[in-house]
Amino acid sequence: MRRAAVMGGILLMANMAVAQQATPPPPAPPRAANLPSPAEKTLGNGMRVIVVPKHDIPLVSARLMVRTGSEADPANLAGLAGITANLLTQGTTTRGAEQIARGIEALGATLNSNAAWDTSYVNVSVMSSRLEQALSFVADVARNPVFKTDEVERLREQSIDAVRVALQDPLSIARYVAARVVFEDRPYGHATTGTPDSLAQITREQIVAFHKRHYRPNNAVLILAGDVKPEVAFAAAEKLFGKWKSAPVKVTRSEGDAKVTDSKPRVIVVDMPDAGQAAVLVTRRGLRRVDPRYYPSLVANSVLGGGYSARLNQEIRIKRGLSYGATSTFELRRDAGPFSAYAQTKNESAAEVAGIIIDELDRLGAGELAETELTPRKAVLVGGFGRALETTAGIVERVASLALHDLPLSEIGAYIPGVQGVTGEAVRKFAASQLQGASANIVIVGNASAFIEALRKRFGTVDVIPVEELDLDTSALRKVKKAAFF
Amino acid sequence: MRLLALLPVFLATALSGATFPTIDYKHRVLPNGLEVYSVEDHATPTVAIQVWYRVGSKDDPEGRSGFAHLFEHMMFKSTKNMPSEMLDRLTEDVGGWNNATTFDDSTPYYEVVPSNYLETLLWAEAERMGSLNVDDTNFKSERDVVKEEFRSSVLTPPYGRLFYAIVRNSFEKHPYRRPGIGSLEDLDASTIDDVRRFHSTFYRPDNAVLIVVGDFEQAQLTKWVDQYFAKIAKPETKIPRVNVEEPVRKGERRAVEKVPNVPLPAVAMTWLAPAASHADAPALQILAAILGRGESSRLYQALVYKDAIAQEIDASAELMQDLGFFAVLSIMGSGNTPEQGEKALRAELKKLQDAPVPAAELEKAKNLLVTDALRERETNSGKAFALGEAIILGGGPAEVNRGLARLQGVTAADVQRVARTYTRDQKPVVLSYVAADEKKEGGE
Repeated sequence: MRRAAVMGGILLMANMAVAQQATPPPPAPPRAANLPSPAEKTLGNGMRVIVVPKHDIPLVSARLMVRTGSEADPANLAGLAGITANLLTQGTTTRGAEQIARGIEALGATLNSNAAWDTSYVNVSVMSSRLEQALSFVADVARNPVFKTDEVERLREQSIDAVRVALQDPLSIARYVAARVVFEDRPYGHATTGTPDSLAQITREQIVAFHKRHYRPNNAVLILAGDVKPEVAFAAAEKLFGKWKSAPVKVTRSEGDAKVTDSKPRVIVVDMPDAGQAAVLVTRRGLRRVDPRYYPSLVANSVLGGGYSARLNQEIRIKRGLSYGATSTFELRRDAGPFSAYAQTKNESAAEVAGIIIDELDRLGAGELAETELTPRKAVLVGGFGRALETTAGIVERVASLALHDLPLSEIGAYIPGVQGVTGEAVRKFAASQLQGASANIVIVGNASAFIEALRKRFGTVDVIPVEELDLDTSALRKVKKAAFF
Repeated sequence: MRLLALLPVFLATALSGATFPTIDYKHRVLPNGLEVYSVEDHATPTVAIQVWYRVGSKDDPEGRSGFAHLFEHMMFKSTKNMPSEMLDRLTEDVGGWNNATTFDDSTPYYEVVPSNYLETLLWAEAERMGSLNVDDTNFKSERDVVKEEFRSSVLTPPYGRLFYAIVRNSFEKHPYRRPGIGSLEDLDASTIDDVRRFHSTFYRPDNAVLIVVGDFEQAQLTKWVDQYFAKIAKPETKIPRVNVEEPVRKGERRAVEKVPNVPLPAVAMTWLAPAASHADAPALQILAAILGRGESSRLYQALVYKDAIAQEIDASAELMQDLGFFAVLSIMGSGNTPEQGEKALRAELKKLQDAPVPAAELEKAKNLLVTDALRERETNSGKAFALGEAIILGGGPAEVNRGLARLQGVTAADVQRVARTYTRDQKPVVLSYVAADEKKEGGE
């Protein structure tokens, strides 16, 4: 078992103490943390099984994932991977939707299936005494779904309604628009949830074909974490998945970074006159998960917007009271996913918040980063990493991500030294090349009349789209005016 | 809550029992009245520290709804020996985290840190219990943050006002009727003097519970607690307590909430329910699970799956210290009305009032609730919360280990009885949640 120490912040605390004040007692020496030790096996049909034992609570989390997700949605069928995954639990060759729900819930277990960009998955969480029964449901829904017509129609209607609800929420709209602005009509540009129009077009045949093509053991990984012995888990996997037939699977890729040229950054406002607040989102193309700049990107983001005391929240919330919270993230996918920084603020301060975010992007690449700032921002990452590994679901998440991207599981042990090894200069360099303010798009969804003047003053040309004219199925983002063709 | 949206979540009854790892806590009371609970557990090199104050949104001063929550934010500002945000330096900056939540009855402040920082955090918690040293600039800026929190959680999301409206309509007299996030007007009316007064009135050792769970040595903890907390004086003043009797509802009441940007209407029904410590609480939790938990639940099966009139359903027993309410709700699917939802909700409740629930269905609800409790107890922080909830909600600390047995003891007859007592023999409030411009469009 590997051991890792957690960094301290004694210096910083001493600096903060003001004359005549009592200072807090310093920390004791740090104690070592435990890292999980995964065991793994590949079944005869090519399915990889990974087990991470953890016996303190009688609980197991498991995920069956296939290495294909929404990036494989055809251009006009946004939502296909998602609807396919969601339908898995809605009926198999031997059980109806109601039977599946009753059976799994009788065990006290929770079962859900969904698609992300690079993967589709079935998750289960269950008391360890009922693990095998729960896994038999996972195997059944992944291997034998029937996609009955009435289930397809029911889910289609529900999904369309869910998207309609999301399209009344400024931040959700901003995310949808941001994907189109950064990735245009390429993969990653569409909505994983689909849109009302794209969902209406998906046929049962396309769903069946998607499942048949991608849900194969040689394209699948089963990950279990919790109160289970590896040999017991391997035996259950063999029993439940051993006879699952393999077939050649072309893992659908979006495109490599090299081929892509980003368009000129845009400033877009979606005008929603009765929005309670404006969502301000700054975005550009980011990195692949396997990019060699992975650790500098993590640390740079931690300094910029990864947590309460990061710069964006310092400037926007703590110093100015403009938002409940400002955050930034890199979505690290098989290909380069987006970087985004965002905050919600009252409509009147939307332009100011956009300006602060752009300024902070530039500041990170321009100036030196002091150790007194860098050290705590690394500690945030190290601490969060350790806490995620305290829960079975957190372990599954971490291990699944490594497996998905074909990274060795020993990377778990590389995380803490990887983060600690990033220098202030590496962060500055990374930010100067990847986070320049001028390279970023700005998307604001809110009551335009409250901020449009200030926004134009700072950023020049702004494209204003009334919310009722928004079309997420094209990078033009506007509904075509049919009248023009008469 | 300081960092995340103020969630419409009330404290659930804590569950545990024989088949289950118990939480072995130690308890003592300092001469100044501070209650201390500790659970030593060396599984990970972290420690969870929580201070629960017995003050919550129900104690908001008159005309100052939302004040207890605004005050919670001020507890992260300066004290005699700590500059503003120093708590973040002591937690976030060393790889830990902190937050706080204002519930109706209590306000827990909580941290998780690498265990070598335990003494540092005990010092800091004692520091902010002992004194606050806030200035007007700090106060106004933080009040702006809370107003943004209000906009983010209530005004902006399509169903942000739904829970807000449910709470406001469910009680007639009791201060539980005021949503904890308050209102923009009341927040604007609050002053820095209110902050000082609130601290001296409620933030004192005899109104607080300290809970420490994780990687520490008991003898060392005892020494540190004495060193940092024992010197905080117990004030002579009496702690004011809410003592409002909520009247029994005389008749059914209907309310309509008209809200912009609501694509699908919703309907909610609520009934008054007893306090969390009442003997009927476990049966009400099970009733809620049978109605609304998972895709095999009664409401999901009837409204979402079979009739496909609803997009989303929920059922919950929101039980607090003084009393609570039982709620069912349905967000309607396209083309379906709140009236259809109400009819279906009533029909499902009637089935549970009229006949006992089958044994397998009862067992399922118990298993789901027990597994929830297991999941909560995976972390030191989760264990501390389970303990805090048991202490605060009136059942007492032993409930953290006794709750599961109580839950397992619930019979089908109990579920039918509470369904009758609370959702048949009491009067509902029926709340329709509709788009503000619905009428206008319909008339054109």
